[in-house]
Amino acid sequence: MSGPKGLFCCSRRAAIVDEGSVTALVLALAVNGLVWGLIIALIALGLSIIFGLLDIINVAHGDFFMLGTVVALVLTLATGSYWMALALVPLIGLAVGLVLERLIIRPTIRHASLTIVTTFGLSMMLQEGVRATYGPQPRRMAAPIEGTIPLFGIDYDVYRIFAAAFAALCLVAFFVFLTRTKLGTWIRAVRHDPETATALGVPVVRICAITFGLGTAMALLGGAIAAPITTVEFRTGVDILPFCFMAVIIGGLGNLQGTVAAAVLLAVMEGLVTSVTDPTIARIVSLGLMSVALLVRPNGLFSGATR
Amino acid sequence: MTVAAISRAALVLLLAALIAVPVVLPMLGSPFWIDIVAEILIWSLLAASVNLLLGYVGLLSFGQALYFGVGMYGAALSVIHWGAGFWSGLAVGVIAAMAMAAIAGSVAVRLTWHYFAIITVVFSLILYFAAMSAKPLTGGDDGISFSAPTVVSLGDAQLSLANQSVQYYTILLIVALCYVLFSLVVRSPLGVRFLAVRENDRRAALVGINVYLTRYMAFVLAGALAGVSGALFAFFGRYASASYMFYHVSGEAVVWAIVGGAGSLLGPLFGTGLLIIFREIISTVWEHYLFAVGAITVLVVMFAPRGLAGAWSDLLHAGTRSKAVSPASELPPVANSGLPKPAADTTSGG
Repeated sequence: MSGPKGLFCCSRRAAIVDEGSVTALVLALAVNGLVWGLIIALIALGLSIIFGLLDIINVAHGDFFMLGTVVALVLTLATGSYWMALALVPLIGLAVGLVLERLIIRPTIRHASLTIVTTFGLSMMLQEGVRATYGPQPRRMAAPIEGTIPLFGIDYDVYRIFAAAFAALCLVAFFVFLTRTKLGTWIRAVRHDPETATALGVPVVRICAITFGLGTAMALLGGAIAAPITTVEFRTGVDILPFCFMAVIIGGLGNLQGTVAAAVLLAVMEGLVTSVTDPTIARIVSLGLMSVALLVRPNGLFSGATR
Repeated sequence: MTVAAISRAALVLLLAALIAVPVVLPMLGSPFWIDIVAEILIWSLLAASVNLLLGYVGLLSFGQALYFGVGMYGAALSVIHWGAGFWSGLAVGVIAAMAMAAIAGSVAVRLTWHYFAIITVVFSLILYFAAMSAKPLTGGDDGISFSAPTVVSLGDAQLSLANQSVQYYTILLIVALCYVLFSLVVRSPLGVRFLAVRENDRRAALVGINVYLTRYMAFVLAGALAGVSGALFAFFGRYASASYMFYHVSGEAVVWAIVGGAGSLLGPLFGTGLLIIFREIISTVWEHYLFAVGAITVLVVMFAPRGLAGAWSDLLHAGTRSKAVSPASELPPVANSGLPKPAADTTSGG
């Protein structure tokens, strides 16, 4: 039950400030925000496609992220290569998602309002399952790319830059997949109107399963990218989940581009607010922003632009 | 025997069993379990507050821990700073929780469906982070502790919560009172409006029910129930901590309510009892009992979405029907036949 500090305390340590300059610190926190924002955008996008298609709120999504960090660490130690782990984790995520959809989500989707409860139960199982098998102690993972580069007058970890770039690449790849491939088109069709899609021969049930699998894979991939810059333990999902929800809500439930924009904006904003006060206040500010967004613009801040 | 008569008899048995707890359990050599039963009674009110919203008005709140926490701090802080006694501390806690629910509810009940669940979590998270950072007042994660005030003083004879039996009967009295009030409310015209809004809010609005006001009143009443629960828990543990305001506590209350059966008056009491007894027994032998709790939650939603109360009422109806019609009629599966069964299912009686 820790606050949002888990997310940003390690970010602060990473920024090595030259001559204690204030602007450098502010910039470092803003860049940190951008890095985290892109990773969280990937995770939140998974949450958003699951919501948009299956109409369920996946409370276990944060724990899928946690599973990604843990599996990445375990695979890195087992295979000796982080890159191998990074390649395998999304495939494992897809498999986990497909299995869980078949076992847990599909049988309970009839009780739509209770899916929050089902996924809460799933979240407890994932957390305790990881605690039982992997252990309760938090661990850290060595960065696979060593070294720092000078950035706005501070020394910045190369791996963080790589993580941001890789997350951005995955985001672009996902949008290309959604608009340029047959499967992606089917997913968009089912999202738009499941009944017409069924009538036109789209296998709706299978598309729902694949979407849940993809959403899960994106959360695990986010975990694998974030593993070297965060702590690896069974509780990290609890910290990341509210943030993903904020991105999805402020961006607009089911609005994918909005989710990405909101994730990046929120993380940069939290980074900036953190530079003047403590992270808890930053979190309260973004939660307040989220409740205003829910009440005033329930379709998201960007609802006018895309629909 | 009719269904109603069986339910009434079961209710009397339940009350008798609860009254007998401090006498019987020490004879069995386990006075420790008196406190467990007291804890079940307290937490069941939090599950009842989830039940009031989900089972009677059709709103899933994932933020009832907020009102639990406000009730807790209302009681604890009034004892520490104002030297309040038990009853005034309890009153401060409940009123504070109701005020909090009145403020949050005025905004939250404008939303329904998933949006309602999300906004209740958001409000509870905001106050949770605020309470965690306001360490001088709330003690944050570590919390604050205080000494138990007296309940009643009659001349020289002072009844204090330090006495285990006094504490148990005080808790039982207040919890029973809450359930009586709850049943009066759901049987009143207001309770009928709750059910109308739950079944179909548009139709309810068309017959002249103010849907917003009905939901709002349910929200404030649920806040009061959670507040009583929190204040009692503060007195029970002589302790208040911000960690009880986290959304996992709300989630657990939702699980208790669903496992017990949302929409029945006493279902959540049995859900809470079952899962807390399960925790106490299993956690001594298996550290990772939460895994099983998660699995139970998923299985209940999958196979018995009406919970223990639903299983009990199916059993009752099947049992009475099979006597009259055919002895071979198949009984529906009962998830927990070895455990105490929910006494009254008021889903159809409201």
